Amino acid sequence: MIPRGVLRLALCVAVVMSPTVMTPTAVVTAAETAAATVSADQLDFFERKIRPLLVQHCYECHSEQSDTMHAGLRLDAADGLAAGGDSGPAVVPGHPADSLLIQTVRYDGDIQMPPEGKLSEREIEHLVRWVRDGAAMPSTPATARPAAAGIDWQQGRQHWAFQPAHVQDLPTVTRSDWPRTRTDHFLLAAMERQGLEPAPPADRVTLIRRLYFDLLGLPPTPEQIDAFVQDRRVDAYQRLVDRLLASPRYGEKWGRWWLDMARYTDRTASWLPQTSHAYLYRDWVVAALNDDVPYDRFVHRQLATDLMPETGPEDLAALGFLSLSPAYWKEPKLPCEIIKTIVADEWEERVDAVSRTFLGLTVACARCHDHKFDPISSEDYYALAGVFASVRHAERPLIDEAAYEPVRKAKQRVAALEKEIQALRKQKPSAESEDAEKRQAEIKSRQAEIERIRQTTPNYDVPLVNALVEESTYVVRAGKTPEEGTAFEHRPEPRDLPAFIRGNPNRPGPIVPRRFLTVLTDQPQPFTEGSGRLELARAMTGEARSVTARVIVNRIFLAHFGRGIVATPSNFGRQGDTPSHPRLLDDLAARLIAEGWSLKWLHRELVLSAAWRQAASTSPKKLAADPPNRWLSRMETRRLDVEPWRDAVLSVSGALDHRVGGPSQPVDDANNRRRTLYATVHRRDMAATLMVHDFPDPTQHSPARSVTTTALQGLYALNGPLLLGHADRLLERLEREAGDASAAQRIERVYRLLYGRGPTMGERELGVAYVSAGDGEEAAERWQSYLHVLLAANEFMFVD
Amino acid sequence: MRTPTNSTASVNRRALLQQLGGGLGMLGAAAAMSSAERLEAGQAGTSAGPHFPPKAKRVIHLFMNGGPYQGDLFDPKPALEKYAGTRPPGADLLTERPTAGLLPSPFRFRRHGDSGLEVSELLPRLAQHADDLCVLNALHADNPNHGPALLQMNNGTIIPTRPSMGAWFLYGLGSENQNLPGYLVLCPGRPVRFSILWNSAFLPSKYQGTYINHSTIDPEKMLPHLRNGRWDSQTQRDQLDLLQQLNATHLSQRGNDSTLAARVEAMETAFRMQSEAHEAFDLQRETKATRQAYGEGHFANGCLLARRMVERGVRFVQVYYGNGQPWDTHSNHDKTTRKLCQDIDQPIAALLADLKQRGLLDETLVIWGGEFGRTPTSENGNGRDHNHHGFTMWMAGGGVRGGMTYGETDEFGFKAVADKMHVHDLHATVLHLLGLDHQRLTYRHAGRDFRLTDVFGRVVDEILA
Repeated sequence: MIPRGVLRLALCVAVVMSPTVMTPTAVVTAAETAAATVSADQLDFFERKIRPLLVQHCYECHSEQSDTMHAGLRLDAADGLAAGGDSGPAVVPGHPADSLLIQTVRYDGDIQMPPEGKLSEREIEHLVRWVRDGAAMPSTPATARPAAAGIDWQQGRQHWAFQPAHVQDLPTVTRSDWPRTRTDHFLLAAMERQGLEPAPPADRVTLIRRLYFDLLGLPPTPEQIDAFVQDRRVDAYQRLVDRLLASPRYGEKWGRWWLDMARYTDRTASWLPQTSHAYLYRDWVVAALNDDVPYDRFVHRQLATDLMPETGPEDLAALGFLSLSPAYWKEPKLPCEIIKTIVADEWEERVDAVSRTFLGLTVACARCHDHKFDPISSEDYYALAGVFASVRHAERPLIDEAAYEPVRKAKQRVAALEKEIQALRKQKPSAESEDAEKRQAEIKSRQAEIERIRQTTPNYDVPLVNALVEESTYVVRAGKTPEEGTAFEHRPEPRDLPAFIRGNPNRPGPIVPRRFLTVLTDQPQPFTEGSGRLELARAMTGEARSVTARVIVNRIFLAHFGRGIVATPSNFGRQGDTPSHPRLLDDLAARLIAEGWSLKWLHRELVLSAAWRQAASTSPKKLAADPPNRWLSRMETRRLDVEPWRDAVLSVSGALDHRVGGPSQPVDDANNRRRTLYATVHRRDMAATLMVHDFPDPTQHSPARSVTTTALQGLYALNGPLLLGHADRLLERLEREAGDASAAQRIERVYRLLYGRGPTMGERELGVAYVSAGDGEEAAERWQSYLHVLLAANEFMFVD
Repeated sequence: MRTPTNSTASVNRRALLQQLGGGLGMLGAAAAMSSAERLEAGQAGTSAGPHFPPKAKRVIHLFMNGGPYQGDLFDPKPALEKYAGTRPPGADLLTERPTAGLLPSPFRFRRHGDSGLEVSELLPRLAQHADDLCVLNALHADNPNHGPALLQMNNGTIIPTRPSMGAWFLYGLGSENQNLPGYLVLCPGRPVRFSILWNSAFLPSKYQGTYINHSTIDPEKMLPHLRNGRWDSQTQRDQLDLLQQLNATHLSQRGNDSTLAARVEAMETAFRMQSEAHEAFDLQRETKATRQAYGEGHFANGCLLARRMVERGVRFVQVYYGNGQPWDTHSNHDKTTRKLCQDIDQPIAALLADLKQRGLLDETLVIWGGEFGRTPTSENGNGRDHNHHGFTMWMAGGGVRGGMTYGETDEFGFKAVADKMHVHDLHATVLHLLGLDHQRLTYRHAGRDFRLTDVFGRVVDEILA
């Protein structure tokens, strides 16, 4: 038996067409009444007629024995009956008609119980009589549960993730000549505790290939490899790291990493304004990372750059993190009770994305009830949701509103002229040529006018970006009755939300002021500046800076090492993983803050470490001792994500177009030779190439890429146009660069281009034999099919 | 002139694969997940395999996208004649658009089979299978818009960020045939909302549906990259031999890393898939008699493809009727419905007969229905609006009782009133038939356990065989 009616009220997708209104008389509790007037006869009636009925039809969900106490209603105890459930008291003793229990079993209202079918008329009569006579029930059994205790904040704050992060004393290590950075001390100490030894350092060829892919997402050229291998200066590696961190390719590679979390899309929902400038947010992220914008500012600007005095309208694209959030269709013809739930779902999405991305906390779990595991109350959830309920998505120009006003007018005028031209073109062609000429002239004059406006209006082409405005949204009835549909009211002042009972927006509870999470602050203060976005952002990098710093440190650590210090990068709560190296995490977090939140500092700290420079090779013994490599006593061979893999294909074939930024282009477009970062991301229609290769679902925050290996990927490599086409280009490149070289020399070159190393003797012989198997016209084909194999090989897709 | 480059290469490749422990299990759920992902999944727990012995091993879902009107097909309402043109109490429910008075169906019903199930004259061939049909007359859903309703029917919720039911099936059970995708979505065009309807969302991406536009039935057009347009089969064999030889060396130097090994296998599988999938999708291999039995048209081809797929162990095949939302008859309802029914009647009847004849129906659950039904009231004079309050779906085979109806709508056929079955209940029941407990099939994501049925869903025991 599944109590749909109650559950539907209880849950996230709850839809209630017209909320039940409780009468004020409901304040008399059953227990009081029962205590005052109960007689033995009444109790006898309860035991004979009512309890069996409750046992049979209700207790599965509404008693001590229930797995979950549905709707918070308990019917096996007098005080439970008195307290009622989420909808209020279940009975008003003496007043059956006002009692929710009776309305419910009569199937009168929206809640219809029991769910498996209406009770018989006789059973309902018994219940009515029982309520009319005072709803007598024996006192609560001793086993009754205490009322919900609420959250113990003191205890909640003890969780490791909420502790302030401090710079740590370095642990002592035996192999004191091994560490190169502070990070190494912590990692080595842990290895030594586990009886593990670090792997030998990677050779320079391996190291530069790893570094290029990690920092730029591209392979090094043979010339770049040679230069590094031959660079005998002591600081050759540091110089290489600095040079790569200064490359604009760095922001392209790490920008995509951030966009996974930001659930970036190039195409917003079809019913929203489509000025197609989503890419400005992508380009903003790339530029910010290239500029090493301090991470705290990076956070502030994405949530609230429009509220920051030091940034102007040119920075509005930063708001894409919020303004490109998924939007769900809200049919205005539907009753507002339905639409309210859809809007509430959108708020939940924002709370989820923001809290997981920046804080590693799953605050959205607290929409319907206090978080089951973490010290996050339902009020905390609504305190944050109110921030997002107080902003509205809007397209805004990259210049001052005042300066844009003439442009807006000019655009309206142009739109009107274009409409007129269309109308003129649609007119039925008349026989009179004079008429046609006149019409042509009219069209021409309007076209000239449009051209003139475009030329003479300053800033006419300034783009509109997906941004936000400070307006709160209210979902209201369009008319007097639900039948008349829904309207949206936007008001300039921010909005505090009521805590919805069980997450249902049609059952508002007490109002919760917008504010930061209780557990991360000593005394939560209501936000006072507009929606509170900037205050929220500042709280995250202020009071909660240790949490925020740990989360971002762990994400970057994970991206470099293939495993995080915390294996659940977006869940630092109790259900998440505990840190493998807690002191290292704290040390890095504290130092990141001290270093002015410089992410490039963090990259440098990590890739300069001896740990990161270890070889990927391993011994069976080590593999057995630490199969998941939790203690990082080696590096691991890692598969490239789809972006660096495709970029590498284009790069080695010589086809890669290095232009930075601008509108997206479909990845499967044969002419698309740009980096995969610029491939169109479409929430509803993901390109097959991306979908097959584990590109994350852009409808939600993605903590890390999953690595699946499927036959469809194999088909793509064997038969898809990407490798086939670029095998041809690669051959052209070889012919262009070394047309008269022998087969063996060409093979030497191509190995160096693709894998950064020369072929072994065996590989060379294998290659020569393969390409020599055809002659005449077949020779070129044989080469193409050979190069295709080299591009499809594991060595090209994996990095040591 | 050409000779194979290395006569021992194939042998080496086979040896390599055996050395890797062979078995396509390498591609199974656990092996394909990264360690971080496993941890994010936490105690999500459910590895491939049913919770209890399944009644159905495979599912075919015939999706009448747009929403068919139940009152024309399986849920006759004689009372409509009496109230034609009026809006008595109960006939004034809210749907997407305003509707006018009650509009009787012009189509006649007759009782069929031993069970005496009532089926419309629009579906004469399907009616011959009345004793196999379990007609569910009291389905209901939460939202009368196409998008949200399609999402609810496919993904269990109107929020477009949750895995589709097919992804849950694969997550729960894995695939029986590693040379074919385990979850196929056939549509001669694109249903509204498109790929979100078969996405894997937070489940690993290998569980997502593979969309196939079967508006042309050339296997190479249906499955992109299935065939290599460049190399002949000898060259491809040479390529694979060389590839795997290079990969073997690379792998042996890296301690037989399991991710590398998995890709070696995936290449092997992909190579085999070229011929196996080509064969599987090639309708030309059917006898003339079979082709004729199914009839002509995209939907007929879809049904026949579905049979070929379930025969090969594909777990879930959805066949959308057509591009966009063809059953969305806001106007000219009767005429359009007649034409649509002509299109589906013969193919579905042939599919059921074919499955039965091949002994597959017992283990294959066939589901028919739209994302919602339509109103008994008229829209635009001769159309019908969406109706999520009450509508019909049916199931056949795979552990459900045939020759029965379950659930009732009100006297106008507007709202489900007795033995109601919400979409969550449908999902719970289908999972049950597949041997999966909908309350135990969970995945830990974003801090909590998710289910296809969220916290809802009742297994409707009454319809189980």
